[in-house]
Amino acid sequence: MEQDEINFSDFIASSTHDMKNSLNIQIGFLEELMAVCRDKIDASMLDRLGHSIYEANRMNMNLIQILSLYKLGKSIYPMDISEQSVNQMLEEVVMQNQSIMGYKGITVTTECEDSCYWYFDRDLVSGILVNALNNAYNYTTDKIHVLSRVRDGMLEIRVEDNGKGYPQHMLKSNVTDNRGVSFATGSTGLGFYFSSLVAGMHKNAGKQGRLIIENGGAYGGGCFVVTLP
Amino acid sequence: MATSLKQSATLVIDDFQSMRSMLMSFLKAMGVTGIDNVGTAKEALALLAAKKYDLVICDYNLGHGQNGQQILEEAKFRNYIGYSTIWVMVTAEKTMDMFMGAAETKPDDYLLKPITESLLEARLNKLIEKKQVLEPIEKAVKSKDYLKAIALCDEQLKVHSASTQDLLRIKSDLLLTTGDFPAANAFFESLLKARSTPWAKTGLGKVLFMTKEYTKAKEVFEEVLEENKMYLEAADWLAKTLDALGDFGQAQHVLSKAMALSPNAAGRQKSLADAAYKNGELDLAQTSYEKAIKLGEHSIHKSASTYSGLAKVLTAKDDPSEALRVLDSSRSEFKDDPDAALQTAVIEGLAFQKLGQPEKAAAALATAEALMREQPGGVSAETSMDMANALFKLGQKEKASALLENVVKNNHENAHIIHQVEAVFEDAGMGGEGDELIKKSTAEVVGINNQGVMLANEGKFEEGIKLMRQAVKSLPNNDLMIANLCGMMIGLMGRQGKDDRMIFEAKELLDRVRRINPNNKKYNAYMNLLSKLASGQG
Repeated sequence: MEQDEINFSDFIASSTHDMKNSLNIQIGFLEELMAVCRDKIDASMLDRLGHSIYEANRMNMNLIQILSLYKLGKSIYPMDISEQSVNQMLEEVVMQNQSIMGYKGITVTTECEDSCYWYFDRDLVSGILVNALNNAYNYTTDKIHVLSRVRDGMLEIRVEDNGKGYPQHMLKSNVTDNRGVSFATGSTGLGFYFSSLVAGMHKNAGKQGRLIIENGGAYGGGCFVVTLP
Repeated sequence: MATSLKQSATLVIDDFQSMRSMLMSFLKAMGVTGIDNVGTAKEALALLAAKKYDLVICDYNLGHGQNGQQILEEAKFRNYIGYSTIWVMVTAEKTMDMFMGAAETKPDDYLLKPITESLLEARLNKLIEKKQVLEPIEKAVKSKDYLKAIALCDEQLKVHSASTQDLLRIKSDLLLTTGDFPAANAFFESLLKARSTPWAKTGLGKVLFMTKEYTKAKEVFEEVLEENKMYLEAADWLAKTLDALGDFGQAQHVLSKAMALSPNAAGRQKSLADAAYKNGELDLAQTSYEKAIKLGEHSIHKSASTYSGLAKVLTAKDDPSEALRVLDSSRSEFKDDPDAALQTAVIEGLAFQKLGQPEKAAAALATAEALMREQPGGVSAETSMDMANALFKLGQKEKASALLENVVKNNHENAHIIHQVEAVFEDAGMGGEGDELIKKSTAEVVGINNQGVMLANEGKFEEGIKLMRQAVKSLPNNDLMIANLCGMMIGLMGRQGKDDRMIFEAKELLDRVRRINPNNKKYNAYMNLLSKLASGQG
């Protein structure tokens, strides 16, 4: 890269990349440690180890989202919109988050036809779902339901929880405006921004994907809804 | 092929000991017992060469040397792994080269770090299932029974499954391989009607390119890149198309842009160098060849023609001594490769000539001639033309003309190559003689061919086959002639019943036809007829 082309966001991206690599090594070591210690340490120690893996994974997810956003912004993300098994993706994402959900006593259920296939970038849409699950993890009481189906020629993926639901001011405004960056609450708004951007990058036959949030669903709590054309 | 995960002979490749032991502990927990592990590409290739693996889990970034993708390419290229081996790439981030290119050099799946045991197990089980579905098709492909493979794809495609996407890709590759362009066109069009994907659109562009509809092909590839500028396979094809349209400057521009987006593609870097040389941009050609040599160092794209390309540029830039140094290193890099030795000797002739040492030039060309005699079927038109060029410069007009005559006879229907032959004659100040020779040689080939066709029309297949076999012996690269020989064999068997040895010979000839000219129109029709004959329906 030419010297004069480097700007601040390039630095952020390259440092993010570096951080992500370090973090991955760290996660690898922690997982290894977990495997070795599982039968040797007491429950509260194990809990803390589990929690640090969860936090590390959360950090990793954020870093991946930042890097993806950087690449999407520069149109250099290797988008690969191809046919995927929706059910398989849902199950994989839920599986990846199973241990941490169990740690907080949350039951996650999925509902999707086995024969449901759709076109999307597997990694980006998985990223949206991981993000939605993380959100629900923070706000649910003890249940999360993930369901997907085709409606009006669009694939709809819903993550519903049995918490108190989104506050009115969030529902009223456009979800993409909900950047809600707040250092006080720790809400970065990154997840919503990433999710609605990625949904919008899925286009087909004049239609575009989008993200909406609402209250209701199976449990009357918050619903995170992505539709893809 | 292992029918279950537990029985899979498995290889783990990762440069980090901690990652290796983590992956191995995952695999052990799944009940896999036969696991080997290595930390470098070199060790990996040594093991892959020595032992048959069902499953390979490979980290993409391995530090110095080859990356995971390059190991996969080399292992496939050297036949260390077959279609039944499952290759899973582990990577910190997605890169486009994992999705692009021919189906056979793509990993079966990739996993983004960090990896969990449950995810790995779920993916591996799904992959084994998928392999089992695809196995009969890939067997048919391996035995070159393409029509059967297509029929098997169609059978499987009746039901939508997790393999549908793979089946569509395999089927489209097969339609292109067998040159059934109308069917390939209809196939891609129908896919695009349902949903526009860069893959299907690029496929449609390829069909247009292969049927020489270059202007339309150009539009299609440009559209793909507009919608998805990282889909660089379309950039490669766009450059090829522009080259065919004679727009060399634009072709070079497209390749330059693609290199900026993905700076480690050795094959593309070489194409860029070739394009720059064609455009007379010698400085860019030089740096591009140098980069291509460096990038290709650890990959199957490492080729002697990159070295000789660089040497050609250096000679043209009046630096023949540096050219000779490059050729020396080429010689030591490609010790047992007769084709490389030939290319090296030819360019050496040019370089010594430039250096003002005609004796050494003559000696180099004499070596080249001897090498050419050893591989009568395998000399490319390009090498022959380079050689003729060098011979002209040494004043060996007769030898040069004889070589060019041979090029014309082997490619009498290829306007592009005929044009280049004209240019070589003109450079030597022999434009008139050149035109004469091209006319005469073409007429000779056409004459033999017509005679053969006449014999076939009269039903004298055996006589025709004898004539064409003789002609093909001296013109091993004339695809029209070879295809006609096949036609006569088919005609003969149509009358006298099938002959397995002749079917085999004809299939081999058709393979040669496809290698020489993927667009030969008779290939597909004859392949169909041969398959019917073989199955007793002829």
